[in-house]
Amino acid sequence: MVEENNTEFRKRDLLCTGALWLLSLILPDPHFPYRRELIKKRDLFYLGVLLLLPLIWSSSHFHHLMVLAGIYAILALGLSLFLGYAGQISLGHAAFFGIGAYTTAILTTRYGIPTFVAFWASAVMAAVFAYLIGKPILKLKGYFLALATLGFVEIFLVMVRETPALTGGVIGIFGVPWFSLAGFSFDTYFKQYYLVWGVLIGLILFSKNLVRSKIGRALMAVATSEDAASAVGINVVQMKTGIFVVGAAFAGFAGSLFACIMSTANPEAFGLGFSVLIVMMVILGGMGNLYGPIAGALFLTWLTDVLSRFQEYSLSIYGLIFILLLIFFPDGIGAHLNIRLIYLISYFGRKKRRGKKEI
Amino acid sequence: MGAIYALVALGFVTVARASQIINFAQGEFVMLGGVITFSLLHHVGLSYPMAAVTSVFFVTLVGFLLYLLVIYPLRKASIPILLIATLGASLFISSSSGVAFGPLPKALPSFSGDQPFLISGMPVTPQSLWVLGATFGLLIFLYLLSHRTWLGKAMEASSTDPLGADLSGIWRNLMVFLAFGVSAGMGSIAGILITPIFYTSYSSGTLLGLKGFIAAVLGGWGKNSGAILGGFSLGIVESLSIAFITSGYKDAIAFVILLLILYFRPKGILGSPFIDSRRW
Repeated sequence: MVEENNTEFRKRDLLCTGALWLLSLILPDPHFPYRRELIKKRDLFYLGVLLLLPLIWSSSHFHHLMVLAGIYAILALGLSLFLGYAGQISLGHAAFFGIGAYTTAILTTRYGIPTFVAFWASAVMAAVFAYLIGKPILKLKGYFLALATLGFVEIFLVMVRETPALTGGVIGIFGVPWFSLAGFSFDTYFKQYYLVWGVLIGLILFSKNLVRSKIGRALMAVATSEDAASAVGINVVQMKTGIFVVGAAFAGFAGSLFACIMSTANPEAFGLGFSVLIVMMVILGGMGNLYGPIAGALFLTWLTDVLSRFQEYSLSIYGLIFILLLIFFPDGIGAHLNIRLIYLISYFGRKKRRGKKEI
Repeated sequence: MGAIYALVALGFVTVARASQIINFAQGEFVMLGGVITFSLLHHVGLSYPMAAVTSVFFVTLVGFLLYLLVIYPLRKASIPILLIATLGASLFISSSSGVAFGPLPKALPSFSGDQPFLISGMPVTPQSLWVLGATFGLLIFLYLLSHRTWLGKAMEASSTDPLGADLSGIWRNLMVFLAFGVSAGMGSIAGILITPIFYTSYSSGTLLGLKGFIAAVLGGWGKNSGAILGGFSLGIVESLSIAFITSGYKDAIAFVILLLILYFRPKGILGSPFIDSRRW
C-alpha cells in the first residue's frame, strides 16, 4: 500500500511540477516591487510571446483587437500608477485620453504637423491639463475625488461638443494621418501592433524604474497612510500631483495613438462608460502591480469583442460579469491566481490519494 | 426639477448615513420607478395608483437585492472596488431594463390633469405641485424616521461608529439593508413623479443619479436638509443658467458647481457632520 502510494505520488509530482513551472512563466508576480533583478526570465518570455504572437496568429481582426488592447493597456498602466501605487481614485482618465486624441487630431489635420511631434505634444498637453486640474482637486479623498474627476470628464465632453470650430463638435475630426516616423508609415494593423506594444514596453520600463525608485516607495507610503507619509517628510501633495501628471501623460500618449489608428477623434469615445472601463481594467488586473492593468486590458478588450455578438444584451452581460468578477476576485484576477491554482492542483492530487487510502 | 434632484440626493444621503457607501445606482432606481409604472399601466392594465404602488414595491425589492447580491459580499472591500461595483450594477440595471422594457422614452399621464392654473400670475402645472408636495412629505417621513424612531437612530449609529453600534447590539448589516430599501423606494417615487414631466428612458438614470449626488454634496453631505437645499439650489441655478448660456452647456453647469464647491467649501452649504469629524 505504501509503495503504491509512493509511485503514484512521484508521477503526480512530475505532472504538478510541470504545470507549476508553466504557471511561473505566465502569471504575474505578486512580490514584484521588492525583487532586485530588473529583467527576469519571465519578462523575456512575455517579450518573446508578444513579438511572435502576430506572426503566428495572423488574422487582421486579431491584430486590430491587440492594437486596441495595447492602447488600453497604456491607459490602464498610467491609471494604475495613480490608483494602485498612490491609492487615489480617478475616473477622469478618459478626459486625458480625449485631450491626447484631440491634440493629435487638431495638430495633424489643421496644421500639418508630423505625427511624431504631435504624439509628444499631446502627452505634454494632457500633462499640463492634469497639473492645472490636479492642483486643486487632489486635496479631496475617496468618493469625492472620484466624483470631481468624473465632473472633469463631463465638462471636457461638453466643451468638445460645444466648440465645433475647434473640435468638430459632435461629429468629431476625421482623416487623421497614420502614425509615421522618419518616412516609415504604420499603415496596417500588423505594423501598428508593433508600434503600440513597443510604446507600451517603453512605458513599462519607465514605470518599473519609477516604482522602484525613491519616488515609488514614497508613493506607496502615501497610499498606506497620508499622515504617516507626511510625518516622515514626504511632500504628499507634490507626490500625488506628480503621479497624476505622469498618469495623464500616459493617457495622452494612448490618446494620440488612438487618434492615429482610428483616424478619427469624436466625443462618443471618451464618456463615462469608458472611464469606468479603464478603472475596471486596473482593478481586475490587480492594483499595485504593473502587469495587472495590462492583463486587465487584454481581458476586457477580448470580453467586449466576444460580447458584441449578443447585440443589445451585451451591456447587461457586461455589467453582470463585472460584478461577479469583483465579488469573487476583489484583488484582481491575477492577484491570488497562482495560489488558487496551486491549491486546486494539490487539491485534486490529495483527493485521489485520499480515495485510495480509504480503500 | 430641483425637487427631483432633492429626492435623489435624499436617497444618497439615506444610504450614506447608514453605511458610508455611496450607491451610484441610485439614479437607476428613479428610472426603474418610471419605467415599471409605465409598463404596469399599459401592458398589465392596472389602475394608476395600483401601478404606482406596485412599482415602488418592485423597486424596493431591487434595492434589497442590490444590497444582498452586490454590496453585502463586498462590504469589506476598499472604496474604489465598491465604487466600481455600484457603477457596474447601475450599468447592468439600466441596460437590462432597456432590453426588458424597450429603448423608447416613456411618458406617463399627469396625476390630475394637464390644465395649468395661475398662482399670482404664474402658470403652474398641477404635476409640479404634486412633486413639491411629495418631496416635503418624504422629507418629513425621513425626519421622523431618522430622529424620532429607534430604527433611524440605529441606522445613524451604525455609520458614525461601527464598533460602538456592534457593541450595543445593533445588527449593522440589517440597518444598511433597510437603508437600501428605503432609498430605492424613494428613488422610485421620484421616478413616478417626474415621468409625466420629463420623458424617462432606460439611459436617463445615470445623469440623474450624478446630479442628485452633486446636490447632496452641495447642500452638505450627510444631512437630509442639506440634500433638499442642494437639490433645489442646483435646479434653480440650472434653470436660470439657460438664460445666459446656450443650452448645450447646461449639463456642465452642475459639474462646474461641484468642482467649485469641493474646492472652496467641501462641507457644503449647511456643513456636513461627516467631513469635519473624519477624513474621507
